Amino acid sequence: MNTPSTLHRSIEKLYASALCLYPMQFRACYAEAMLQTLRDALEDSAIPKARLMPTLLLDLIQSLIKENLAVIADIFARSALLFNALILAALSTVLALGLHWIPQQVLRMNANDPQVELAGNAAVRLEHGAPARELVPADSVDIAASLSPFMAIYDEQGKMLASSAQLDGKAVAPPAGVFAYARQHGEERLTWAPRGDVRIASILRHVDDANGGFVLAGRNMCEIEAREDLTLKMAGLLWLAMIGIVAVGTLIFGWMTQPPKAHPSVA
Amino acid sequence: MGDMTVSAPLTSAVFAILLSLAAGERHGYAMMKDARSPEGGGVEMGPGTLYGTLERLMRDGLVVEADTSDNERRRYYRLTDKGRGQLEAELARLDSALAGARLRGLLPTGGRL
Repeated sequence: MNTPSTLHRSIEKLYASALCLYPMQFRACYAEAMLQTLRDALEDSAIPKARLMPTLLLDLIQSLIKENLAVIADIFARSALLFNALILAALSTVLALGLHWIPQQVLRMNANDPQVELAGNAAVRLEHGAPARELVPADSVDIAASLSPFMAIYDEQGKMLASSAQLDGKAVAPPAGVFAYARQHGEERLTWAPRGDVRIASILRHVDDANGGFVLAGRNMCEIEAREDLTLKMAGLLWLAMIGIVAVGTLIFGWMTQPPKAHPSVA
Repeated sequence: MGDMTVSAPLTSAVFAILLSLAAGERHGYAMMKDARSPEGGGVEMGPGTLYGTLERLMRDGLVVEADTSDNERRRYYRLTDKGRGQLEAELARLDSALAGARLRGLLPTGGRL
Protein backbone atom coordinates (compact mmCIF):
# COMPACT_ATOMS: atom_id res chain seq x y z
CA MET A 1 0.00 0.00 0.00
CA ASN A 2 1.21 3.52 -0.75
CA THR A 3 2.36 5.72 2.08
CA PRO A 4 0.57 9.09 2.09
CA SER A 5 3.60 10.91 0.72
CA THR A 6 4.03 8.43 -2.13
CA LEU A 7 0.32 8.68 -2.90
CA HIS A 8 0.52 12.47 -2.82
CA ARG A 9 3.49 12.45 -5.14
CA SER A 10 1.63 10.18 -7.56
CA ILE A 11 -1.43 12.44 -7.52
CA GLU A 12 0.78 15.50 -8.01
CA LYS A 13 2.54 13.84 -10.92
CA LEU A 14 -0.74 12.91 -12.58
CA TYR A 15 -2.12 16.39 -12.00
CA ALA A 16 1.05 17.98 -13.39
CA SER A 17 0.65 15.86 -16.53
CA ALA A 18 -2.99 16.92 -16.86
CA LEU A 19 -1.95 20.57 -16.61
CA CYS A 20 -0.31 20.19 -20.04
CA LEU A 21 -3.83 20.11 -21.48
CA TYR A 22 -4.52 23.70 -20.42
CA PRO A 23 -3.85 26.51 -22.90
CA MET A 24 -0.17 27.49 -23.03
CA GLN A 25 -0.55 30.95 -21.54
CA PHE A 26 -2.87 29.80 -18.77
CA ARG A 27 -0.38 27.07 -17.94
CA ALA A 28 2.52 29.51 -17.93
CA CYS A 29 0.64 31.82 -15.55
CA TYR A 30 -0.94 29.35 -13.14
CA ALA A 31 0.52 25.84 -13.40
CA GLU A 32 2.91 26.28 -10.47
CA ALA A 33 0.27 27.97 -8.33
CA MET A 34 -2.27 25.24 -9.17
CA LEU A 35 0.20 22.52 -8.22
CA GLN A 36 0.95 24.33 -4.97
CA THR A 37 -2.77 24.62 -4.23
CA LEU A 38 -3.15 20.89 -4.82
CA ARG A 39 -0.15 20.21 -2.57
CA ASP A 40 -1.70 22.35 0.16
CA ALA A 41 -5.01 20.50 -0.22
CA LEU A 42 -3.32 17.08 -0.07
CA GLU A 43 -1.40 18.07 3.05
CA ASP A 44 -4.52 19.32 4.81
CA SER A 45 -5.61 16.38 6.93
CA ALA A 46 -8.98 18.09 7.56
CA ILE A 47 -10.11 17.21 4.03
CA PRO A 48 -10.81 13.53 3.37
CA LYS A 49 -9.00 12.46 0.20
CA ALA A 50 -12.03 10.45 -0.86
CA ARG A 51 -13.92 13.75 -1.06
CA LEU A 52 -11.09 15.72 -2.62
CA MET A 53 -10.41 13.38 -5.53
CA PRO A 54 -13.85 13.54 -7.23
CA THR A 55 -13.87 17.34 -6.77
CA LEU A 56 -10.42 17.54 -8.31
CA LEU A 57 -11.33 15.34 -11.27
CA LEU A 58 -14.59 17.14 -12.02
CA ASP A 59 -12.88 20.50 -11.66
CA LEU A 60 -10.12 19.41 -14.02
CA ILE A 61 -12.59 18.35 -16.72
CA GLN A 62 -14.79 21.43 -16.40
CA SER A 63 -11.96 23.95 -16.25
CA LEU A 64 -10.04 22.31 -19.12
CA ILE A 65 -13.10 22.68 -21.34
CA LYS A 66 -13.78 26.21 -20.12
CA GLU A 67 -10.21 27.52 -20.49
CA ASN A 68 -9.67 25.96 -23.92
CA LEU A 69 -13.01 27.31 -25.16
CA ALA A 70 -12.06 30.74 -23.76
CA VAL A 71 -8.86 30.69 -25.81
CA ILE A 72 -10.78 29.71 -28.96
CA ALA A 73 -13.27 32.53 -28.29
CA ASP A 74 -10.36 34.96 -27.75
CA ILE A 75 -8.74 33.91 -31.01
CA PHE A 76 -11.93 34.38 -33.01
CA ALA A 77 -12.59 37.69 -31.25
CA ARG A 78 -9.40 39.08 -32.83
CA SER A 79 -10.88 40.97 -35.75
CA ALA A 80 -7.90 40.56 -38.12
CA LEU A 81 -7.84 36.78 -37.59
CA LEU A 82 -11.61 36.50 -37.90
CA PHE A 83 -11.59 38.63 -41.06
CA ASN A 84 -8.87 36.45 -42.63
CA ALA A 85 -10.72 33.29 -41.64
CA LEU A 86 -13.97 34.59 -43.13
CA ILE A 87 -12.23 35.59 -46.39
CA LEU A 88 -10.61 32.15 -46.66
CA ALA A 89 -13.93 30.48 -45.84
CA ALA A 90 -15.66 32.57 -48.53
CA LEU A 91 -12.96 31.67 -51.08
CA SER A 92 -13.30 28.00 -50.15
CA THR A 93 -17.06 28.22 -50.62
CA VAL A 94 -16.71 29.88 -54.04
CA LEU A 95 -14.12 27.31 -55.08
CA ALA A 96 -16.29 24.40 -53.95
CA LEU A 97 -19.35 25.84 -55.69
CA GLY A 98 -17.28 26.29 -58.86
CA LEU A 99 -16.00 22.72 -58.62
CA HIS A 100 -19.59 21.57 -58.50
CA TRP A 101 -21.05 23.99 -61.04
CA ILE A 102 -18.45 23.65 -63.84
CA PRO A 103 -18.53 19.82 -64.11
CA GLN A 104 -22.33 19.96 -63.77
CA GLN A 105 -22.57 22.30 -66.77
CA VAL A 106 -20.13 20.16 -68.80
CA LEU A 107 -22.16 17.04 -67.98
CA ARG A 108 -25.41 18.78 -68.92
CA MET A 109 -23.98 20.01 -72.22
CA ASN A 110 -22.50 16.63 -73.07
CA ALA A 111 -25.82 15.00 -72.22
CA ASN A 112 -27.36 16.72 -75.27
CA ASP A 113 -24.66 15.78 -77.81
CA PRO A 114 -26.21 12.54 -79.18
CA GLN A 115 -29.67 14.15 -79.33
CA VAL A 116 -28.35 17.20 -81.21
CA GLU A 117 -26.75 14.93 -83.78
CA LEU A 118 -29.81 12.67 -84.12
CA ALA A 119 -32.32 15.53 -84.42
CA GLY A 120 -30.10 17.47 -86.82
CA ASN A 121 -29.57 14.52 -89.17
CA ALA A 122 -33.25 13.52 -89.09
CA ALA A 123 -34.42 17.10 -89.79
CA VAL A 124 -32.10 17.35 -92.80
CA ARG A 125 -33.34 14.04 -94.18
CA LEU A 126 -36.97 15.07 -93.66
CA GLU A 127 -36.24 18.29 -95.53
CA HIS A 128 -34.94 16.11 -98.39
CA GLY A 129 -38.19 14.19 -98.47
CA ALA A 130 -37.40 11.04 -96.45
CA PRO A 131 -40.54 9.51 -94.86
CA ALA A 132 -40.81 9.84 -91.08
CA ARG A 133 -41.20 6.10 -90.42
CA GLU A 134 -37.88 5.33 -92.16
CA LEU A 135 -35.97 7.72 -89.96
CA VAL A 136 -37.17 6.40 -86.61
CA PRO A 137 -35.39 3.22 -85.41
CA ALA A 138 -37.60 0.17 -85.50
CA ASP A 139 -36.65 -0.95 -81.96
CA SER A 140 -38.53 1.00 -79.32
CA VAL A 141 -36.70 2.38 -76.30
CA ASP A 142 -38.15 2.10 -72.78
CA ILE A 143 -37.16 5.58 -71.68
CA ALA A 144 -37.58 4.74 -67.98
CA ALA A 145 -35.02 1.93 -68.09
CA SER A 146 -32.75 2.54 -71.09
CA LEU A 147 -30.00 5.11 -71.47
CA SER A 148 -30.19 4.89 -75.30
CA PRO A 149 -31.29 7.97 -77.22
CA PHE A 150 -34.77 7.85 -78.74
CA MET A 151 -36.42 9.83 -81.51
CA ALA A 152 -39.96 10.95 -82.35
CA ILE A 153 -41.29 12.86 -85.33
CA TYR A 154 -44.33 15.15 -85.25
CA ASP A 155 -46.22 17.03 -87.94
CA GLU A 156 -46.52 20.81 -87.98
CA GLN A 157 -49.53 20.64 -85.61
CA GLY A 158 -47.63 18.53 -83.09
CA LYS A 159 -49.33 15.22 -83.94
CA MET A 160 -47.01 12.25 -83.59
CA LEU A 161 -46.04 10.53 -86.89
CA ALA A 162 -43.47 8.05 -85.59
CA SER A 163 -41.68 7.39 -82.30
CA SER A 164 -39.16 4.95 -80.85
CA ALA A 165 -39.88 6.09 -77.25
CA GLN A 166 -42.09 4.09 -74.92
CA LEU A 167 -43.02 4.72 -71.32
CA ASP A 168 -45.25 2.22 -69.54
CA GLY A 169 -46.10 0.77 -72.99
CA LYS A 170 -47.24 4.10 -74.46
CA ALA A 171 -45.65 6.72 -76.71
CA VAL A 172 -44.56 9.92 -75.00
CA ALA A 173 -44.99 13.56 -76.03
CA PRO A 174 -43.16 16.64 -74.78
CA PRO A 175 -45.03 19.53 -73.09
CA ALA A 176 -47.32 21.21 -75.64
CA GLY A 177 -45.88 24.71 -75.41
CA VAL A 178 -42.47 23.67 -76.71
CA PHE A 179 -43.71 23.20 -80.27
CA ALA A 180 -44.61 26.87 -80.61
CA TYR A 181 -41.21 27.89 -79.25
CA ALA A 182 -39.33 25.53 -81.59
CA ARG A 183 -41.42 26.74 -84.56
CA GLN A 184 -40.42 30.33 -83.73
CA HIS A 185 -36.76 29.77 -82.82
CA GLY A 186 -35.82 26.71 -84.87
CA GLU A 187 -35.16 24.45 -81.90
CA GLU A 188 -35.74 24.05 -78.20
CA ARG A 189 -33.53 22.25 -75.70
CA LEU A 190 -35.48 21.08 -72.72
CA THR A 191 -35.39 18.78 -69.74
CA TRP A 192 -38.77 17.36 -68.87
CA ALA A 193 -40.29 14.61 -66.76
CA PRO A 194 -42.89 12.43 -68.50
CA ARG A 195 -43.19 10.57 -65.18
CA GLY A 196 -42.18 11.71 -61.69
CA ASP A 197 -39.08 9.51 -61.59
CA VAL A 198 -38.05 9.86 -65.25
CA ARG A 199 -36.24 12.97 -66.48
CA ILE A 200 -35.40 13.39 -70.14
CA ALA A 201 -32.77 15.65 -71.73
CA SER A 202 -34.07 16.41 -75.22
CA ILE A 203 -33.91 18.64 -78.23
CA LEU A 204 -36.92 19.52 -80.38
CA ARG A 205 -35.97 20.68 -83.85
CA HIS A 206 -38.31 22.32 -86.35
CA VAL A 207 -38.17 21.02 -89.92
CA ASP A 208 -37.75 23.91 -92.35
CA ASP A 209 -39.57 22.76 -95.43
CA ALA A 210 -43.01 23.30 -96.97
CA ASN A 211 -44.64 20.60 -94.77
CA GLY A 212 -42.93 21.64 -91.58
CA GLY A 213 -42.89 19.26 -88.61
CA PHE A 214 -40.69 18.53 -85.65
CA VAL A 215 -38.00 16.05 -84.65
CA LEU A 216 -37.64 15.20 -80.98
CA ALA A 217 -34.50 13.39 -79.80
CA GLY A 218 -33.93 12.65 -76.15
CA ARG A 219 -32.52 10.29 -73.54
CA ASN A 220 -32.92 9.42 -69.89
CA MET A 221 -30.82 11.64 -67.60
CA CYS A 222 -30.44 9.22 -64.69
CA GLU A 223 -26.76 8.52 -65.40
CA ILE A 224 -26.00 12.22 -65.84
CA GLU A 225 -27.86 13.02 -62.62
CA ALA A 226 -25.95 10.28 -60.78
CA ARG A 227 -22.70 11.90 -61.93
CA GLU A 228 -23.99 15.32 -60.90
CA ASP A 229 -24.81 13.93 -57.45
CA LEU A 230 -21.29 12.53 -57.26
CA THR A 231 -19.73 15.91 -58.13
CA LEU A 232 -21.99 17.56 -55.53
CA LYS A 233 -20.82 15.10 -52.86
CA MET A 234 -17.17 15.55 -53.85
CA ALA A 235 -17.51 19.34 -53.84
CA GLY A 236 -19.27 19.14 -50.45
CA LEU A 237 -16.50 17.00 -48.96
CA LEU A 238 -13.88 19.31 -50.42
CA TRP A 239 -15.69 22.32 -48.93
CA LEU A 240 -15.84 20.67 -45.50
CA ALA A 241 -12.13 19.82 -45.70
CA MET A 242 -11.21 23.38 -46.74
CA ILE A 243 -13.36 24.93 -43.99
CA GLY A 244 -11.77 22.53 -41.49
CA ILE A 245 -8.28 23.50 -42.64
CA VAL A 246 -9.17 27.21 -42.38
CA ALA A 247 -10.59 26.75 -38.86
CA VAL A 248 -7.68 24.64 -37.61
CA GLY A 249 -5.11 26.88 -39.32
CA THR A 250 -6.69 29.98 -37.78
CA LEU A 251 -6.68 28.35 -34.34
CA ILE A 252 -3.04 27.26 -34.64
CA PHE A 253 -1.95 30.66 -35.93
CA GLY A 254 -4.02 32.40 -33.24
CA TRP A 255 -2.50 30.17 -30.58
CA MET A 256 1.02 30.91 -31.78
CA THR A 257 0.46 34.66 -31.91
CA GLN A 258 -1.48 35.20 -28.70
CA PRO A 259 -0.66 38.55 -27.15
CA PRO A 260 0.97 38.21 -23.71
CA LYS A 261 -1.36 38.56 -20.73
CA ALA A 262 -0.75 41.42 -18.35
CA HIS A 263 -2.45 41.43 -14.98
CA PRO A 264 -2.36 44.28 -12.50
CA SER A 265 -0.49 43.48 -9.33
CA VAL A 266 0.17 45.47 -6.22
CA ALA A 267 3.79 46.48 -5.93
CA MET B 1 -18.58 42.22 -22.70
CA GLY B 2 -16.28 40.50 -20.22
CA ASP B 3 -17.05 43.12 -17.54
CA MET B 4 -19.56 42.09 -14.96
CA THR B 5 -22.05 44.81 -14.18
CA VAL B 6 -22.82 45.62 -10.55
CA SER B 7 -26.41 44.44 -10.84
CA ALA B 8 -25.57 41.05 -12.38
CA PRO B 9 -25.82 38.11 -9.99
CA LEU B 10 -22.39 36.56 -9.44
CA THR B 11 -21.61 32.92 -10.09
CA SER B 12 -21.11 30.82 -6.99
CA ALA B 13 -17.34 30.56 -7.61
CA VAL B 14 -16.94 34.33 -8.10
CA PHE B 15 -19.03 35.07 -5.03
CA ALA B 16 -17.07 32.62 -2.89
CA ILE B 17 -13.71 34.01 -4.02
CA LEU B 18 -14.73 37.63 -3.48
CA LEU B 19 -16.17 36.74 -0.08
CA SER B 20 -12.97 34.97 0.90
CA LEU B 21 -10.80 37.90 -0.23
CA ALA B 22 -13.02 40.37 1.64
CA ALA B 23 -11.30 39.21 4.83
CA GLY B 24 -7.86 40.06 3.44
CA GLU B 25 -5.19 38.68 1.16
CA ARG B 26 -5.46 34.97 0.50
CA HIS B 27 -3.54 32.35 -1.42
CA GLY B 28 -5.21 29.75 -3.64
CA TYR B 29 -5.77 26.98 -1.15
CA ALA B 30 -7.00 29.38 1.56
CA MET B 31 -9.66 30.62 -0.86
CA MET B 32 -10.65 27.04 -1.76
CA LYS B 33 -10.96 26.19 1.90
CA ASP B 34 -12.98 29.32 2.71
CA ALA B 35 -15.28 28.64 -0.23
CA ARG B 36 -15.93 25.08 0.94
CA SER B 37 -17.16 26.22 4.36
CA PRO B 38 -20.89 27.00 4.76
CA GLU B 39 -20.04 30.58 5.70
CA GLY B 40 -17.95 30.93 2.58
CA GLY B 41 -20.69 29.85 0.22
CA GLY B 42 -20.33 26.06 0.46
CA VAL B 43 -18.71 25.90 -2.99
CA GLU B 44 -16.56 22.90 -3.85
CA MET B 45 -13.96 23.99 -6.37
CA GLY B 46 -10.59 22.78 -7.51
CA PRO B 47 -7.50 24.68 -8.64
CA GLY B 48 -8.66 24.84 -12.27
CA THR B 49 -11.91 26.65 -11.49
CA LEU B 50 -10.17 28.78 -8.87
CA TYR B 51 -7.40 30.11 -11.11
CA GLY B 52 -9.63 30.36 -14.17
CA THR B 53 -12.06 32.49 -12.15
CA LEU B 54 -9.21 34.55 -10.67
CA GLU B 55 -7.92 35.17 -14.18
CA ARG B 56 -11.27 36.64 -15.24
CA LEU B 57 -11.64 38.60 -12.00
CA MET B 58 -8.20 40.14 -12.56
CA ARG B 59 -9.04 40.94 -16.16
CA ASP B 60 -12.21 42.71 -14.95
CA GLY B 61 -10.26 44.59 -12.29
CA LEU B 62 -12.04 43.03 -9.30
CA VAL B 63 -8.97 41.27 -7.92
CA VAL B 64 -5.24 41.91 -8.10
CA GLU B 65 -2.27 39.77 -7.28
CA ALA B 66 -0.54 40.89 -4.11
CA ASP B 67 3.19 40.89 -3.58
CA THR B 68 2.89 38.90 -0.36
CA SER B 69 4.71 35.59 -0.53
CA ASP B 70 5.63 32.92 1.99
CA ASN B 71 6.47 30.45 -0.73
CA GLU B 72 7.74 31.06 -4.24
CA ARG B 73 4.92 29.00 -5.72
CA ARG B 74 2.12 30.24 -3.49
CA ARG B 75 0.47 33.35 -4.92
CA TYR B 76 -1.65 35.79 -2.94
CA TYR B 77 -4.55 37.87 -4.17
CA ARG B 78 -6.57 40.73 -2.81
CA LEU B 79 -9.81 42.58 -3.62
CA THR B 80 -9.80 45.92 -5.42
CA ASP B 81 -12.28 48.66 -4.53
CA LYS B 82 -14.27 47.64 -7.59
CA GLY B 83 -14.28 44.04 -6.41
CA ARG B 84 -15.42 45.07 -2.94
CA GLY B 85 -18.22 47.14 -4.52
CA GLN B 86 -19.27 44.14 -6.58
CA LEU B 87 -19.33 41.92 -3.51
CA GLU B 88 -21.33 44.48 -1.52
CA ALA B 89 -23.84 44.77 -4.34
CA GLU B 90 -24.22 40.98 -4.44
CA LEU B 91 -24.60 40.80 -0.65
CA ALA B 92 -27.25 43.54 -0.80
CA ARG B 93 -29.06 41.60 -3.52
CA LEU B 94 -28.96 38.40 -1.46
CA ASP B 95 -30.01 40.34 1.65
CA SER B 96 -33.07 41.69 -0.19
CA ALA B 97 -33.92 38.19 -1.35
CA LEU B 98 -33.58 36.87 2.21
CA ALA B 99 -35.72 39.70 3.56
CA GLY B 100 -38.38 38.82 0.97
CA ALA B 101 -38.18 35.16 1.95
CA ARG B 102 -38.61 36.07 5.62
CA LEU B 103 -41.64 38.22 4.81
CA ARG B 104 -43.19 35.20 3.09
CA GLY B 105 -42.46 33.06 6.13
CA LEU B 106 -39.94 30.92 4.29
CA LEU B 107 -37.19 31.70 6.82
CA PRO B 108 -37.39 32.31 10.57
CA THR B 109 -37.34 36.04 11.46
CA GLY B 110 -33.89 37.11 12.58
CA GLY B 111 -32.05 34.61 10.43
CA ARG B 112 -29.97 31.68 11.51
CA LEU B 113 -28.90 31.58 15.15
